[in-house]
Amino acid sequence: MAKLWAIIKREYLERVRSKWFVIATLFGPIFFSAIIIVPAWLSSRSKATTDIYNTAILDATGNGFGHRLAVNIAVDTTIPGRMPEVRVIAPSALTQAESLATHQVMQKEKTGYVVVDQQTLAGEAARYAGRNATSIADMAQIKSAIRETILASRLEKVGLDNSRMKEITFIPLDFSTERITEKGRAGSGIASVMFGFAIGFLLYASIVIYGQTIMSGVLEEKTTRVAEVVMSSVPTDTLLAGKVLGVGAVGLTQQIIWIVTTYVLLKARAPIMARLGAPTMSFTLPDISLGAGIIFLLFFLFGFIFYSSLFAAVGSSVNSESEARQAASPLMIMIISTAVFIQPVLLNPTGTTARVLSLVPFSSPIIMPIRMAVIGIPPLELAASLGFLAIGCLVALWLASRIYRVGLLMYGKRPSMREMARWVSYSR
Amino acid sequence: MTEYAIDIVNVTKRYAEHTAVRDLTLRVPTGSVYGLLGPNGAGKTTTIRMILNIIAPDSGTIHIFGQPSSDPKITERLGYLPEERGLYRKMQVKRVLKFLAELKGVKGSEADVRIDDWLERLSLKTPEKDWGLSKVDELSRGMQQKVQFIGTLLHDPDLVILDEPFSGLDPINAQALKDTVVELKKRGKTVIFSTHLMDNAERLCDSVCIIARGEKVLDGTVTGVKEEHGQRNIALALEGDGMQGIASILRDHSLVKRADDSNRFFEIELVPGGDPQTLLRRIVESGASVQRFEMIQPSLHEIFLQKVGAAGIEEGMTGHG
Repeated sequence: MAKLWAIIKREYLERVRSKWFVIATLFGPIFFSAIIIVPAWLSSRSKATTDIYNTAILDATGNGFGHRLAVNIAVDTTIPGRMPEVRVIAPSALTQAESLATHQVMQKEKTGYVVVDQQTLAGEAARYAGRNATSIADMAQIKSAIRETILASRLEKVGLDNSRMKEITFIPLDFSTERITEKGRAGSGIASVMFGFAIGFLLYASIVIYGQTIMSGVLEEKTTRVAEVVMSSVPTDTLLAGKVLGVGAVGLTQQIIWIVTTYVLLKARAPIMARLGAPTMSFTLPDISLGAGIIFLLFFLFGFIFYSSLFAAVGSSVNSESEARQAASPLMIMIISTAVFIQPVLLNPTGTTARVLSLVPFSSPIIMPIRMAVIGIPPLELAASLGFLAIGCLVALWLASRIYRVGLLMYGKRPSMREMARWVSYSR
Repeated sequence: MTEYAIDIVNVTKRYAEHTAVRDLTLRVPTGSVYGLLGPNGAGKTTTIRMILNIIAPDSGTIHIFGQPSSDPKITERLGYLPEERGLYRKMQVKRVLKFLAELKGVKGSEADVRIDDWLERLSLKTPEKDWGLSKVDELSRGMQQKVQFIGTLLHDPDLVILDEPFSGLDPINAQALKDTVVELKKRGKTVIFSTHLMDNAERLCDSVCIIARGEKVLDGTVTGVKEEHGQRNIALALEGDGMQGIASILRDHSLVKRADDSNRFFEIELVPGGDPQTLLRRIVESGASVQRFEMIQPSLHEIFLQKVGAAGIEEGMTGHG
């Protein structure tokens, strides 16, 4: 026990002391605050860029549609310079007017131009061309201005007066979304998807990073022959367990630091946003009960043990970093193909794909916590997932310890799959 | 105290492709310096790994100080220096040593005292510079070898196992190693080492075992082995250019069985019943000026060549065992 402790202590302290760990741990919260605060800040700014006021309206309708559209785009006509320029054009001269406008956009005199014609009056089509054509906020504003103008002309036709028209067409809708689970209301839908994504990303990243950390650690011990000295003092299973637990504790330490700082940042989000001058959106954190927290932790631990023991086996069977990268590729494919499913699972967390992937041991440690973040999971499904994962862990550990103790003493050629299978059958 | 530090009986270790050790029986007396000699692939490293319980034999038994080698307590009485050496490169020297000591059951505080003591003894800690605080990869190769050696001895083992300890050592460290081996023996410790350098083995060892192709060729005390396995040989040294003249005499297989030519020195084994006086007379008659003509015991090197063959020792020079 004291020897296992010595190994865990060494693995833990040597890594926590490393510059890399300190940098990554500090970088985490900065990164998280960036993904939490920056998009909100950007979206608050991207309501409308001033670019859309410098557009030209090519009006080929012949009934003054362009002028009304200009007023609708400007919204507030008392501010100078907000009215788009209106060019009333005969339908036959439209091609020529468009090429002139295109030229002006190219010369950066104009941002872009809107073409309105008979089809627009009929509510069928309108066109925009300009440098800001990819800006979703700009296009949405122009599009809704055109809709409003069409609606207004139609209402005018049926005899509604101007003041009533504004009243009817003005709809400042604030559409908020909230999720409901078996336990009741559970915060905004976007928040839980973001939360699910964050959990998935965190699990994925820690498995990849710390799995490879273990792999190169094992490889270093093998190539420096430290492994032989250690093996002459403790059984190989103890060495393997010490490594997995020690490095696992490093990963857990880092995640706890990340989660706590992220939580604090989210709590302090309102004052930070206020200071940046951005409005705070309603954003309730999903409620995580203690029970759910423990289940998350179990998935992390089991997933970590599953992958890191296999990474350790790979590290013990090779002789150089480049061989290790090659030999680890089947494991990497398993993890990456799981990560590919994070988004589909988030979009359809009750689908067959999501259900199957949360039962298979190699994908369940990432997929199941994501599903748990967005929907309620029946206890039976949860138990089955954890059960299969636990069995997977035992199999992985058994396989890994057998490959590990033979591999550490084998130098020279990289073993084939068949040779590794034979190692498993060696007594010792 | 048990009579044997290591007692190996009928041990066999097979791998898929070959048998690494076949029916090996070997006893190392407590308090002796023991040499395990053999060419490349002879099974030396496999034997050492089985003694250390890193791998288990397929059949046969191994006892260390009377206890089965699988007894976890026994590992704390063993110190091991592997053939190719290395340490955690990015770790501080003292922390590496403390880790190695803790694995052998030494308490942290006790380890600190011993580490300082050893670092001073091997001049890795001087008033000007304490290398113990540096990282391993900041040390020269020679210094790293010293650190590795400290790691082997830190827990004051009763049995020290050194796998090819002299390979890659600079002359100063090699001398320090020899001194330490002698000192360990004086303190009643048992030292077993594998080597292909017969000179070292002959000078340091009380007993030796020669193995080849996984089997024991011979074993016993160095004196006993020499008496048993060599007729008395003749050491011959000539002055000047007399070498050419005696070449034909040495090729005469009715008198000389084999002659080991070391340029200025010959070690000659006569055929059974061959008369040394006849040889001396013929050499003098050839006109060569004899500087030395002495009846000697064959060197371990000679016995090794005779038993294992020249091919064996050349392979053995690569230093793997």
